[in-house]
Amino acid sequence: MSALADGLVYVLNPSHFPFLLIGVMGGIVVGALPGLTGSVGIILLLPFLFYLEPATSLIMLSGMFCGAIYGGSISAILISTPGTPSAAATVLDGYPLAQRGEAGKAIGVATIASTTGGVISTLCMIFISPQLAKFALKFGPEEYFALMVFGLTVIASVSGASLVKGLISGFFGLLIASIGIDELTGYARFSFNIPNLMTGFPMLPVLIGLFAISQIFIELGNVGKDLKRYNQKIRGVFPTWKEFKRLITVIIPSSFLGTFIGIIPGTGGTIASFMAYNEAKRLSKDSESFGKGNLAGVAAPEAANNGTTGGAMVPLLTLGIPGDVITAVMLGALLLIGVRPGPLLFKQNPQIINALFVGFMLAQFLILALGLASVRIFPRVLKVPISLLFPVIFTLCFLGSFTLNNSIYDMLVALLFGVIGYFMRKHGFAVAPMILGVILGPLAERELGKALIISHGNWVTLVRSPIALFFYGISILSVTYSLMRMRSSRKKAKAR
Amino acid sequence: MIANEILFGAIFMLISVFCFCMTLRFPDLRIALSPTVFPRFVTVSLFILSSFLLAQGIKKQVRSRGGSQKIRIDRAYIIRFIMLGVTGFIYTRIIRFTGYIIATPLLIAGSMLIFNERKWYRIILVSVVTTAILYSVFRMFFRVPLPRFSLW
Repeated sequence: MSALADGLVYVLNPSHFPFLLIGVMGGIVVGALPGLTGSVGIILLLPFLFYLEPATSLIMLSGMFCGAIYGGSISAILISTPGTPSAAATVLDGYPLAQRGEAGKAIGVATIASTTGGVISTLCMIFISPQLAKFALKFGPEEYFALMVFGLTVIASVSGASLVKGLISGFFGLLIASIGIDELTGYARFSFNIPNLMTGFPMLPVLIGLFAISQIFIELGNVGKDLKRYNQKIRGVFPTWKEFKRLITVIIPSSFLGTFIGIIPGTGGTIASFMAYNEAKRLSKDSESFGKGNLAGVAAPEAANNGTTGGAMVPLLTLGIPGDVITAVMLGALLLIGVRPGPLLFKQNPQIINALFVGFMLAQFLILALGLASVRIFPRVLKVPISLLFPVIFTLCFLGSFTLNNSIYDMLVALLFGVIGYFMRKHGFAVAPMILGVILGPLAERELGKALIISHGNWVTLVRSPIALFFYGISILSVTYSLMRMRSSRKKAKAR
Repeated sequence: MIANEILFGAIFMLISVFCFCMTLRFPDLRIALSPTVFPRFVTVSLFILSSFLLAQGIKKQVRSRGGSQKIRIDRAYIIRFIMLGVTGFIYTRIIRFTGYIIATPLLIAGSMLIFNERKWYRIILVSVVTTAILYSVFRMFFRVPLPRFSLW
């Protein structure tokens, strides 16, 4: 408890708190703007983080993460365009409510549900993470290698419509990660004697290129198109006491559902929000009104998708494995700012973890305050023309790539990966698996090397540990589940 | 989409074959894990997957032989895409000579024009103000040594 009090003192310090506030505000705006996701927001934030203390960077990142997940609901409600994929279920009832002139109430309910989901998931994160970290301290290189293999199986679940294309993207990422000097032997692989390639491609420009610049290229397709706008006046933000009492019975179970789903790697906010929506509809006495503007249809998915935030941080912080796209980007961000997630982080840097826990919790209350206070401003945010927004982001991408090494070469790398990312996304190759490959590939190879050094090159060591075997087992289950899910969604699509 | 699967399958196959051939030239060092093991595993897997993609593409192509597929090409979009890419490339080339303060407003103005912004006052205002804000944040606050005009 005293550790959390230390964290609170740190976060509320006037030289740290503004960064959390900026993170949350930035996250809400980024989440609300269609075309920009939380992943892009985190990447755009990275250049600023190198100059901050790791704990401050982490609270800013958490603010951006939680803010963006909530922000996605705003455009989903106002213009029927989910700002982030996890807000897709919110459109179903949010937009009909907005058309009826109840956009204010829909956003109000989304804000309350998001905060409740966020608070419950943060509490779960605070209680579960240290216990899991204590257990993970027993891990050696064999277990870590198995864990990285499990992390890489997330590729299957973030592959998009085509598993083959997703796997190709993931293995392409692994290939890119193998460029440069091999850590164990010092041999420069695929470097063609080019000095810049000796150290491999720098991670920050690769992330900026694949996520942000490729998105800017895609947005060029919207030039000249009329953007959707919400022109009605927003009134009445709060639900009535009677409505609130009814909604809270939906919000709390959905929050727990979201947290549970978030903890499982390879799932994420989109699955959680649709599951919560379906459950709310199934258990409702008034299920016919779902899809026509039922407030519970907004509350359930929003509580669930914000519930995944704290849940997804559990495997990320304790084991260093990302659960979905946004946490994969978070992992990259943490490594870039010099924070290596894993059990040792809890042992060696408890002050960072405490600040993160408190920052995560305060971010939820900032979402509540900012969300309710700015309801009337949101329609104006959505009116920002793309001719103004994306050129500024384009510039920030170049500048962000430059800042890590003060290198113009890094700007070129960002542009190159922007073009690669654009072509891949345009032709159905998800870039998230590639990111997972780039981030987890070197970690997996390092742990494999360590395990083999300890065992004098005996490969059997990889399957001796029961914990490692457990991770191989759940890796197989994870891939099987993804395959089954893909097959069933294909069947559903054919039936339609 | 069908032609794309064949094209991308072939591209990734070529990349994997090329990289695998390169690994044959790596020294077979035996310090626990040879530098060839990981890249070879990756290239072989990539080859198998891309040949699978290629086969999928060919299968679909054969199935849809009867119907001709028309691919709609949006010329304006392609021109914009190339222009934005070239603008970014030129920016990375000229910034080392002109410095951040001169090159950045040109990049912003150029990108705004590509994004179809036609109000000149807005272009000038956004280019100048954004450059100034980013300069003050990165140069003055974070002390990043942004590129300067080479004659300074």
